[in-house]
Formats: sequence, structure tokens, C-alpha cells
Amino acid sequence: MKLSKKTITNILAPLVTFLLLFGFWEWAVSHYQLPKWLLPAPSGIIQSMVVNFNDFWPHILITFETVLIGFLIAVPVGILLATLITSNKIISAALSPFVIFLVTTPLVTLIPIMMLFMGFGQKVRIIGVVIQAFSIVNMNTVTGILNVPIIRHELMQTMGSNKFQSLRHMIYPTAIVDIFTGVRLSAIFATTACISAEYVAGNHGLGSQIIKYSQFLKTTESFACIFYVTIIGLFMYGFVAFLQKKVIYWKI
Amino acid sequence: MEELVQKEVQTIPKIVFENINKVFHTRKQTIVAVKDYDMQVDQGDFVSIIGPSGCGKSTLIRMLNGIIQPTSGRMLLDGIPLDTSKPYSQETLRKMGFIFQQPNMLPWYTIRQNITLPLKIFGLDTPEYQEYADELISVTGLQKFADSYPIEASGGALQRAGVVRAMVHKPEILLMDEPFGALDEMLREQLNMELLSIWKRLNITIIFITHNVEEAVLLSNSIYVMATEPGRLVEKVDIDLPRPRSLEMITQPRFVSYTQRLVDLIGSVELRQIK
Ligand SMILES: Nc1ncnc2c1ncn2[C@@H]1O[C@H](COP(=O)(O)OP(=O)(O)O)[C@@H](O)[C@H]1O
Ligand SMILES: [Mg+2]
Repeated sequence: MKLSKKTITNILAPLVTFLLLFGFWEWAVSHYQLPKWLLPAPSGIIQSMVVNFNDFWPHILITFETVLIGFLIAVPVGILLATLITSNKIISAALSPFVIFLVTTPLVTLIPIMMLFMGFGQKVRIIGVVIQAFSIVNMNTVTGILNVPIIRHELMQTMGSNKFQSLRHMIYPTAIVDIFTGVRLSAIFATTACISAEYVAGNHGLGSQIIKYSQFLKTTESFACIFYVTIIGLFMYGFVAFLQKKVIYWKI
Repeated sequence: MEELVQKEVQTIPKIVFENINKVFHTRKQTIVAVKDYDMQVDQGDFVSIIGPSGCGKSTLIRMLNGIIQPTSGRMLLDGIPLDTSKPYSQETLRKMGFIFQQPNMLPWYTIRQNITLPLKIFGLDTPEYQEYADELISVTGLQKFADSYPIEASGGALQRAGVVRAMVHKPEILLMDEPFGALDEMLREQLNMELLSIWKRLNITIIFITHNVEEAVLLSNSIYVMATEPGRLVEKVDIDLPRPRSLEMITQPRFVSYTQRLVDLIGSVELRQIK
């Protein structure tokens, strides 16, 4: 593969920024002699990520699993619900306010209550992720479907197309860009929601470890976990970007 | 006796508009888009509807195709009234092909996939119909674009594809809403001649909407001239020119007298409108 100038710039520019930022951080920590429990140096954090990997790994797995499962449920649920909402005025009237309710309510406030009913297991955290992540997919899919040009509806109408045929051949492909905007956001929401859920209770997942280490002033380990969360978030984001390239094969 | 019945059957018009009215209610106003419209089109006929912008031309063929419903009046297809109280059956829709003003291609499908979409939707996706699609593609010179995406094709190719898509399910009627209006003069003339040869070959019935007088005279057996506010029929002009028609005819005196008459008609209509 040949790398174009643009690609190289796109990779190089953020990398330089990243290195500058970490360089400054490293320098500041040693120059002002900040204690490790307050702000560890990046080199220390990265070292901890490697040295304590065996301690972190099970939690990385749990968090990743929760995020991924929640995300994979949230996306189809969001799209399906949006399809229902846009197909029928009554369903729309009945459901729309609740979707907005779910988007605007910070999920963390719901999780403790949900845990009263469902305990502290992974299941409740997955549900938390789904609730937080599906609504943004739903909202964007609704937007995408409502923005389908009338003339395309008319085209399908001239053939007497049924609802499923219209969705498959015309509506979803037209709305796909908006849908992916929602999916991309939901990948991020899923990660955030999972960590929030792990903060609240239990001792599984990176969220719980971040809390645990910071309680013992083991800030370096705490940061190491945060970096792993970032990596999961980046992976999810990249996964969606990859998917988008595969799915939207035509030029827009 | 039998002969008589036969004759009777043959004289049933392909399409009838009977006292058709269409009123649009918007929040601000009530628009009488079409008022008391009558029209009869025979099987194999080529008629044009011409008139100033907003006189209800599109509304007419959109009603016939079931995209919108008339406020009152009747439309008959092969002598049978269309039930506009519910969406048309595919059986009814199959008799018609609708060509939009814009190409209206779906960008995620290649030209060929766009063209054959009606086969999928109508449940006609058989080798026979696929073969027919290929034939139409080659007749219209679209082969080299067939596997391209719409974004890669020229405006002329896209509009041709729009025509082919409307014909792929072998309709008996083509409804064309200013199909070549956005193309340049040369290309439009070329496509018009292609259209005439297809029409002759398939013995299909065509309702053609345009606001180009020469185009209407060149193509049609008769021209329905409409006026606006309210949208209505002012005159039907029969074009008694020999076929096959050719572009050279445009400068001939008889052709010019037709265009002059139509220009005068439309001009007086537009003058009245300004007053
Ligand atoms: N869906 C609609 N809602 C309201 N008014 C409409 C609608 N469609 C057409 N009209 C109005 O009806 C009249 C006729 O429109 P149209 O048939 O598109 O005219 P033409 O095709 O002759 O230019 C115009 O005044 C137009 O504004
Ligand atoms: Mg029009």
C-alpha cells in the first residue's frame, strides 16, 4: 500500500502532538518534583501497564467484553426502534419522549437503582451500556430516516414497493451516514457507560480497579488502567470507522 | 356481431381523465392545482402536456401513477376506473413506468442494478426480464456505464438509465415528467429521437410533459395546453405531421405554424395570468 502525503500528515501530525504533550508532562513531573501519588510520569504509567499487565488483564477483558456486548446489542436495538418510530405515528408519539429521556438522563444515576433489582453482576453493567448506547443510535437513525428525500419514496412507490423492500433498497442506504454518526457516538458512550457502571459497584472491570487503586493512592496503577480504557475506546472507534468503510462502499 | 364487439373493445381509450380536480391545502392557502380536467389517450398514442410552471402538469401524471390522489373525478385505465382510495396494486402499477425530472438513481447501486430494481420489487426477476434489461441497456448505448455507479456516469447516461428503469418491467404506458429538461439542447434532441424510435418499436402509450414547444410538436400526436391558477386545460392541439418525424422538420413551414400557434396560446395564457 502506498501512503499518500495526506495519510502521512494525518498520522504524523497527531503523533507529534501526542509526543509533545507527553514530553511536557514527563518534564513537568520531574522539574516540579511532583509526588507519584499526585501525578505520576507517563514513563512510570507505561512501565506499570507492562509490569502489572497480568493483574490488569482479567479486568481489561471484562470491560472490553461488557462494552462490546452492550454495543452489539445497542446498535440493532437502536436501529430497529428508530424504524418502528418512523413507520407509525402512534408508536412515534408513544416512544419518542422516552428515548429523549434516556439520552438526557446520565446513566450513572440509574445504575445504583438497577443494581437494587439485578445485583452487581456483569449483566446489569451490560444493560447499563445498552441503555446509554442505543438511544444515540436511535436518535440519529430517526433523523436519517426522516431526511430521506421525498422523491426516493416516490420512486419506490411507483413500483409498489412494500415496507421491507423500501427499507432494504432505499431507506437504510440513504440513512446510513446518519446511522453511522450514531453508531460512532454510541461506541464512545458504551465505553464511558461501562466504566461508570464499574465505578459504582463490584470489583470487576477497569472502572472498579481505577477506584480501588486511587483509594490506596496508587495513582500510577490507576492511570495505567485509565490508559487501557482509552485503548479500548480507541479500538471501538477504529472498529466503527473500519465498519463504516466496509458498509458504505459507494461515494457519497 | 362478433366483429362489432371486437371494434368496441378496440375503441376503449387506454387512459381517461374524467372531470379530475386536485386541491392542495397548505397551512397558508388552498391551491387548486388541477380543475375539471378531461383527457382521453388512446393505446399507442403519444400526447404531450404543455403549460407554464405550476399549471398542474406534474400533478396530473402523479395522480395517474398513484403518487397522489385526486380530490374528485375519475381516472380510467383500459376502461376500468382506478380505485384511488387505497394504494394501487402492483398489477396496476406494472402497467405504468414513471420517469422523473431528475435521474433519481440510487447511488449505492450500479446503473444496471438501478435499472433492474423494478424487477426485484415487482417480483419479475427472471432470466427473461434480465435479458430484456440487457437489450434495453444496449439499445440505449448504456453498456459502458452499466457497471458504473451513478456518480461516475454523465447526466445524459443517467437520464437514459431513468427511462430504461421505467421500461424494464414492460409497462404499457410511460409517464414522463419533463424527462430531458435539465439536459443541453443537443443531447435532448438526441434523446427525443431515441424515444420516438423506442415508442414506435414497442407500441407503447406515452404521456410526455414539457414546457418546450418544439419538443412537444416534434414528438406528439396531440398536445394538451394548460393554464394556471387554477390549473386547467385550455386547448387540445392535434399535430398532423407525418411520421417518422425527424429533426429537419423543425424548420418546415407546417412545423413552424404549429409552434407559432402554441407559443401564441401559451403566451396569451401567461399574459392573462400576469393581469
Ligand atoms: N404536495 C403539494 N402540496 C402543496 N401544493 C402543491 C403540491 N404539489 C404541487 N403543488 C402545487 O400545485 C400546483 C401545480 O404543481 P405542479 O403539478 O407541480 O405544476 P407543474 O408540474 O405544471 O409545474 C403548483 O401551484 C404547486 O405549487
Ligand atoms: Mg412539474
